[in-house]
Amino acid sequence: MQQFFTTLLAGLTLGAVYAAFALALCLIWRSTRVVNFAQAPMAMVTTYVALEVIDHTGSYWFGFAVALLAGLVLGAVVERGLVRFVEGKSDLNVVILTLGLFVVLHSLAAIVFGQDYKSFPAPFGLRGLHVAGHDIAITGFGIFTLIAVAVVFGLLVALFRFTDLGLKMRASAFSPEVARLLGVRVGKMLTLGWALAAVVGSLAGLLVAGGNLVFPQFMDSVVVYGFVAAVLGGLDSPAGSVVGGLVLGLALSFVSGYAASDLVPITALGILVLVLLVRPGGLFSHVAERRV
Amino acid sequence: MLAVEDLVTRYGAVTALDGISLEAPEGQVTAVLGANGAGKTTLLRTISGLVRPQQGRVLLDGTDLSRTPPEKMTSLGIAHVPEGRGVIAELSVAENLRLGGLHRRAGAEAVDVDRVFALFPVLKERRTATAHVLSGGERQMLVIGRALMAAPRILLLDEPSLGLAPRVVAQILALLRNLVESEGLTVLLVEQNAASALSIADRGVVLNLGSVVASGAAERLAADEKLRHAYLGF
Repeated sequence: MQQFFTTLLAGLTLGAVYAAFALALCLIWRSTRVVNFAQAPMAMVTTYVALEVIDHTGSYWFGFAVALLAGLVLGAVVERGLVRFVEGKSDLNVVILTLGLFVVLHSLAAIVFGQDYKSFPAPFGLRGLHVAGHDIAITGFGIFTLIAVAVVFGLLVALFRFTDLGLKMRASAFSPEVARLLGVRVGKMLTLGWALAAVVGSLAGLLVAGGNLVFPQFMDSVVVYGFVAAVLGGLDSPAGSVVGGLVLGLALSFVSGYAASDLVPITALGILVLVLLVRPGGLFSHVAERRV
Repeated sequence: MLAVEDLVTRYGAVTALDGISLEAPEGQVTAVLGANGAGKTTLLRTISGLVRPQQGRVLLDGTDLSRTPPEKMTSLGIAHVPEGRGVIAELSVAENLRLGGLHRRAGAEAVDVDRVFALFPVLKERRTATAHVLSGGERQMLVIGRALMAAPRILLLDEPSLGLAPRVVAQILALLRNLVESEGLTVLLVEQNAASALSIADRGVVLNLGSVVASGAAERLAADEKLRHAYLGF
């Protein structure tokens, strides 16, 4: 029983990180129909920014805030400065562009921040909580991870569902020309979509880094699982991203807890293949079927 | 008043508009007629700024709009209603309408969505439905209703009859005529369905291969047998 709960809680926290990453992918997909392969290195860069700020000021939360802000700026700059020039061209162009950005950001980070492993602080305890004589496998930072992802998800849902800005962003994504005719400044909305996605990506970076080591490739392991989570949930649906992330986190955690940790990558691959075979649009897809 | 002067629009080597001049007098319906490829849709797209003309001017009360971005049109009081497929299919009926009212004509008061529901009661019944489940006629009502949410003075309508049953076409065009009478709207109506369009229009302009070949009072065009046979197909 103890092991079951340990595995469950570990899976949930892991899943929350994947969910955050998948949410970022989903945001960009929704606003510009682009799969952003450079999501991970963008988050890596902002995490380094956070680390620099924390080292200089000693305040974790200041670094946290600066990293999110850096994500906002980086996302906007990437969209305005790079993606904009290939938008509307062949889909492959922008895929290659983000892949290229992946490589460039890795190299730049290695040059600017160095290849060394650096330890990243965590704002909360990294040891299991001790409640009523029982050790619980969830850490303070794990709880923070879950709450942070839940809050971000809630804010995004509120933005898209209840605000005019969210409505304009959705309209711009689904039908840019009609949105323009209705007075929406579509270019701004796309930039905003990228900026918000990069903020969520930065959060994923901070959650992965907390209490761990940071190096230029530290996000790469999350990339694969984040993509699987996004595909699992259906790239179009924020709720799907979160559920996809949590399901994947739990599945992988149970596989590594009860079977062998070597089986984790192959399980992820298996889930990915299964989803693509059975529901290619993801578990939460309905929009794709609607398109005529 | 909306007018275009000597408008030339090319897509690469193809000249879609070849020196078009016309006027859409205030409070009237001006029908622009012509076959496929005559340049009707390009004319509307050039007026609303989606396509840039190589030459000529688009004048709104004497101000040149030919360099104004399409996003500005609704605030100037011009609403371009694309073909019925212009609904945003992924949004609900209510969201489509709300979107239409976000960037309304400068100085205009917000249009109550109930006004649109009064014009198109079927939209009220389906307000929470996603727009992709609407029929062709309902979609056309939705795009017109959405345009009205911006409190426009000028409506640019692109083929409202496209793919609709004759009875629905008659219903939508009659409603349009009523709006013109009751609110003083100015309508520039692009249509292939010349008979229906001329039946509600005050004036007509016939395009062929990007040029104006005839214009005048709607009844006169409808009565001109040679013109009808040559260009209008009825």
